[in-house]
Amino acid sequence: MKDPYEILGIPRTASPEDVQKAYRRLAKKLHPDLNPGNKDSEERFKEVSGANDLLSDPDKRQRFDNGEIDASGTERPHQRYYKDYAAEAAAGHPYENRSGYSDFAETDDIFAELLRRQEQQARRAPGSELHYGLSVEFLDAVNGAAKRVTLPDGGTLDVTIPPGIENGQILRLRGKGAPSRGEGKAGDALVEVSIIPHRFFSRHGDDIHIELPVTLAEAALGGRIKVPTPTGPVLVTVPKGSNTGSTLRLKGKGVPRRGGHGDEFVKLKVMLPAEPNPELEAFLSKWTPGTSYDPRGDMQP
Amino acid sequence: MNITKLEFLDQAQINGETLEVWIREEWLVPSGPATEPIFSEADLARAKLIRDLRQDLGVNDEGVGPILSLVDQLHSLRKILADLLQSMRDQSALPDVGASKNLE
Repeated sequence: MKDPYEILGIPRTASPEDVQKAYRRLAKKLHPDLNPGNKDSEERFKEVSGANDLLSDPDKRQRFDNGEIDASGTERPHQRYYKDYAAEAAAGHPYENRSGYSDFAETDDIFAELLRRQEQQARRAPGSELHYGLSVEFLDAVNGAAKRVTLPDGGTLDVTIPPGIENGQILRLRGKGAPSRGEGKAGDALVEVSIIPHRFFSRHGDDIHIELPVTLAEAALGGRIKVPTPTGPVLVTVPKGSNTGSTLRLKGKGVPRRGGHGDEFVKLKVMLPAEPNPELEAFLSKWTPGTSYDPRGDMQP
Repeated sequence: MNITKLEFLDQAQINGETLEVWIREEWLVPSGPATEPIFSEADLARAKLIRDLRQDLGVNDEGVGPILSLVDQLHSLRKILADLLQSMRDQSALPDVGASKNLE
């Protein structure tokens, strides 16, 4: 790691103004956006701005001078400059400017041909992509739905939510983006889906999980109970002697996927009556369940 | 990725008034309607360049426009050069210049 004073070319006694002056002098020369394609100046600019970050902060500078911190870690993390975007931009982007080369285009050679082709490309370039976010109800995401989105400019967008869509998935609507600046096709609209969590369903991959409260009697004696699924309630048999944490699997009641459905897992949760119940209390006070009933048996220290 | 106006102001560390001036001067050309402009990451990087120019490189407001215009022309020229080199490498893509040349 080079010495930051050395990088900026200033003595250790330099005043804050000197630091700023030295930094600006170098930045003017080395700024990556004024030297596109020059790897060397980009590297040096990174060093220079790192040195400036260290020395322009009185606290950091003092700690560096006292030897409490060294110059490592002062390099700024890799930053993308405008030039990086400009180099990747497709023909016809808004900042394109090659009005300055029309003099070449009047001649009849490769260069002129290229310019003409590029101009054509720019004219035919499709419009840019527009990004939108769409909140989707949990059940709509599982079962699929058709949604109409109102856009900021007042227009609308019809979006078909395919069954089983996942949170964060992006739907591409061809031709629903920005119009072309020339004669090209309109760009695409990209709609990022965020799924609103459900009150009692949750989703893990293609499976649906639900915690289902049951009465003490339903758990102990078994019975047929109604269980909600994403496509509506179904009757399910709770086996005799079920307990909190017992899980039932409803095959094919999960999220649609290629070639079938996931499953729904129903985790039972035994609930006592919300109100105190004198009969139950009277029964329990007389009830002797025997020595094997010790739910904390394996928790002995 | 798209950036809304509020996110853009926050990330570019400028205020709304400044942004309006920059758009009016066409230093920035966001997409979307003027009431609800949408910015790209390229716009954000460009805003940071404008900020660097004005804050660190001592360029005054009058100077920003001409510099951006030259930077834009430079990038277009670099693109043309890259394409030219590409078509020279890719001989089959060379336009048939000889045939169309008509010397009288």
